[in-house]
This record gives sequence, structure tokens and C-alpha cells, in this order.
Amino acid sequence: MSTAAITLDVSCGLRFGGAGALVYKPVSAGEFSAVEEDVDGLLRAAAKESGSEVESKTDEFGYEWIVVRDKDLEDVVTSVHAAASELEARGFGGQLLAAVFRFEGKDADKPVYWVYGYKTGTFWPFVPAGKEQQRDNAEELELKAKLEHELPVEQDLTRWFGLFGAPI
Amino acid sequence: MKRKALGRDAGLTVRMLITTGLLGLLYVVFAVVLFNVFNVGLAPMIVIVVAIALFQYYTSDKLALAAAGAKVVSPDEAPELHAMVERLCALAGLPKPKVAIMDTDVPNAFATGRSPKHAAVCVTTGIWRRLDAREMEGVLAHELSHIANRDVLIMTVASFFAMLAGLLTRFGLYAGMWGGGGFGGGSNRDNNNNQIPVWLIVLVVSIVVYAVSFVLIRTLSRYREYTADRGSALLTGAPEYLMSALQKISGEMARIPQRDLREVQSMSAFFIVPPSIKAATAELLMDHPPLEKRLAALAEIAREMGRPVGP
Repeated sequence: MSTAAITLDVSCGLRFGGAGALVYKPVSAGEFSAVEEDVDGLLRAAAKESGSEVESKTDEFGYEWIVVRDKDLEDVVTSVHAAASELEARGFGGQLLAAVFRFEGKDADKPVYWVYGYKTGTFWPFVPAGKEQQRDNAEELELKAKLEHELPVEQDLTRWFGLFGAPI
Repeated sequence: MKRKALGRDAGLTVRMLITTGLLGLLYVVFAVVLFNVFNVGLAPMIVIVVAIALFQYYTSDKLALAAAGAKVVSPDEAPELHAMVERLCALAGLPKPKVAIMDTDVPNAFATGRSPKHAAVCVTTGIWRRLDAREMEGVLAHELSHIANRDVLIMTVASFFAMLAGLLTRFGLYAGMWGGGGFGGGSNRDNNNNQIPVWLIVLVVSIVVYAVSFVLIRTLSRYREYTADRGSALLTGAPEYLMSALQKISGEMARIPQRDLREVQSMSAFFIVPPSIKAATAELLMDHPPLEKRLAALAEIAREMGRPVGP
């Protein structure tokens, strides 16, 4: 992701937008709550060190978002990865949906998201186009073309699902 | 400064030359076989085919438009479309072709005409409605590249012998049905004793020539499409719009889903389905390259354009 960020900056004029998140589906089991608490504790400890902010959110689809805010992409990636690894190590890897990273161009209100799908192990771009459930496919295809060599970009376009209303 | 063809690509040019060469070779072999098997009756046939080809060539713009049911529109009737074509023609150094609109929801566009001076571009109302201005520009630039590259001429010449072979196949069939006497003025009676009938040889050769030339013409056509895509990318300077237009036109833009990842997650089996396996043989018969390959080629151009120009 870090080398990709350089390419994004140089050839697309996009900079890291200071936020990333891990999205997962919670399970209503006592054991899972314990794991969640551990992950939370782990992240807050890491956050204190790196100076990032961590918050948890539940969205309208019933998914949990662990949002990490930090100016440094590296710190965000590390935190998100740590949280995901912890969930995987405790046997809840199947609950992981995606990791999302926010990028911005000159216009901070028009974010570009890079989504990492845990089910496919690939990245894809997601550029919401202002209106409800609309996305900028031209921009997304351009991003794919430019980043293909640095990132494992999902080649099957039918899997480029969006994350509308992402809280980051 | 005059640009003869938009966007030269060395690899593509070589492949195109090889395909054209193979086509030429095939026709020479075909001609030799024809001349050896009989010496009469060939001339009238060629005259007919040449006449048809010439007719097709000289009327290609009007013929194609009429066949498609397209209507040539004036700048007053379609000011935006005319302005767009004018702008692109100015950029490409082409005379402005006739502009036609076809009233159908099927998103499509085509160019026709034997030379840049006798050309026409046609778009359907469906494509005009679906694409935004920059995507439309990409598509029009693709069609104008076809005109600049004289693709109608190239394809007419390439199809010429295939047509001849097709005609001969039919003649051969008729001749066979009428007892071999109706062909070439019935002058091959001496060959008829204990030999394979002439019409059968002609029939077989023609069928083979037709089949092989069909594949080769399709291959050539696919290369022309790549070249026109490249021309469009260089002309508009923004291949990504042609890419998104291509996706929309082929109904493939729907491939980038409008749905949310969280909505579809329950159908987890979805993610295990392997991408559909396409037979390579099917591609041989298509006159347009598969979308994935066109997009990949355009993506490559986009990357090339993204690089700074060398010293």
C-alpha cells in the first residue's frame, strides 16, 4: 500500500486522507465479544504510541467499523493489519469483510477509496460520485490502470462492490 | 502537418502485416489453383466480383447508412454532436465527415466511407443518451481513427477474395447440381473421364479459402479495432473515457456493481465462482477484440501517457 501511495500521489495527485478502517461482521457469541475487547485494547495501546485516533462504529448494515485516524498511512495500515491479524488468529477470519483507505485529491469532499477485500485478497478502487449509490467509473478505471503494477487489483470488475456512506 | 494514421504501434503493425500477408498468400494460392483447373469462365466471374466490390466501395457511405436506417443530420438538428465531430476533426487534421443519427436504443456507433473525403460517422440515439460528453468524444475519436486509417478500403480489399470464393462455392454447387455442364461454358469435358470432377475441386478449394480468409479477415479487423482505440486515446489524450464508454456500450459497465459490498456479503458463495472461461477459438471468429483485451491495451496506453516524455 505504501508504494502504491507514492504512485497515487505522483500520477493521480491523490494523497492519503488520514483515515482507514477495518470492516467486519460481528458474531453474537460471548467469545467474540471477548475477542473484540482484546482487539480494541490492542489498538488503543498502539494508538497511544503512534498518536492515532481509534473509534468503533456500527453501520446500518450491521457491520462493525474500526476506524483509525492518523496523518501517516503507515501507522493506519499497521493498526488495521494488527486488528485483522488478531481476529484471524482467534478464529474469526471469516468475519472480516474489507479494509478501506481514504485518499483525497485537491477537492477534499470527493474522496477516493481503496478497498481491500479479505475474501478475494485483492484491492479495488471505489469513487462515490456525489449522488446516492452513484460512482465514478471512469476515475475508477483510470486508477486501476495506473495502480495495476503496484497493487493486486481485482481483475473481475463484477466484484468491485462499493461501500457507500463509509464513515471515514 | 498531416498525420496519415493516428497512433502507430510497431507490434500491432507487424501483426497486421503478417495477417495481410497471409491473406495475400492465400489468395495467390487460390488464384493459381483456379487458373490451373480451368482457363475459361474465370474472367466473367472476376468481372462480376470486381463490379460488386467497386459498387460496394464507391457507395459504402450511402449504402451503410441506408442499410442501418440512419439519417444524416445537419448542424442545426444536432449541434452538440456536430461541434464534437468538428473539434475532433480539427485535432486529427481530417475533413469533416457527414454526421448521421440512427434512432435506436442499442448503443452503437460506426464510421463508413471509402476515403476521409467521402466518409460518414453514425451514432445511435441510445449511445448518445448513455454516454457523457467525454466518453462520447472517445467513441467519436475511435470512429474518426477508422476513417483516418482508411479501414473501409482495407476491409473491402481484404473481403474481396473472400467474396469471390463465396461466389465460386455457390457456382460450384450449382454446377454440381446441373451435372457439371453449366460451369465455365462446359469446356472441361476431357477432364470428366475417370477424374475428380472439376466443380468438386473448385468447391472444396473455395470452401477452404472462404473459411481461412474468414478467420484472417476477422483477425485483421480486430487489429484495426486496436489501432482505432489507440488513435482515439492519442487524439483525446484521455483513454480512460473510451474505456468507460466501451464498458457502457457493451453493457459491461454494469460489471462494476452499483451495489454495496455489505449488501451482497451474505451470498458468500459468490466469491468462489471462478471467472468464466472463454474459449480461445471463439475469439478467432470475432471481428472485435474482447472487451478485456481492449481495456488492457488502453490501460497500457494510459500508463505510457502517464510517463514523462523522454529528453
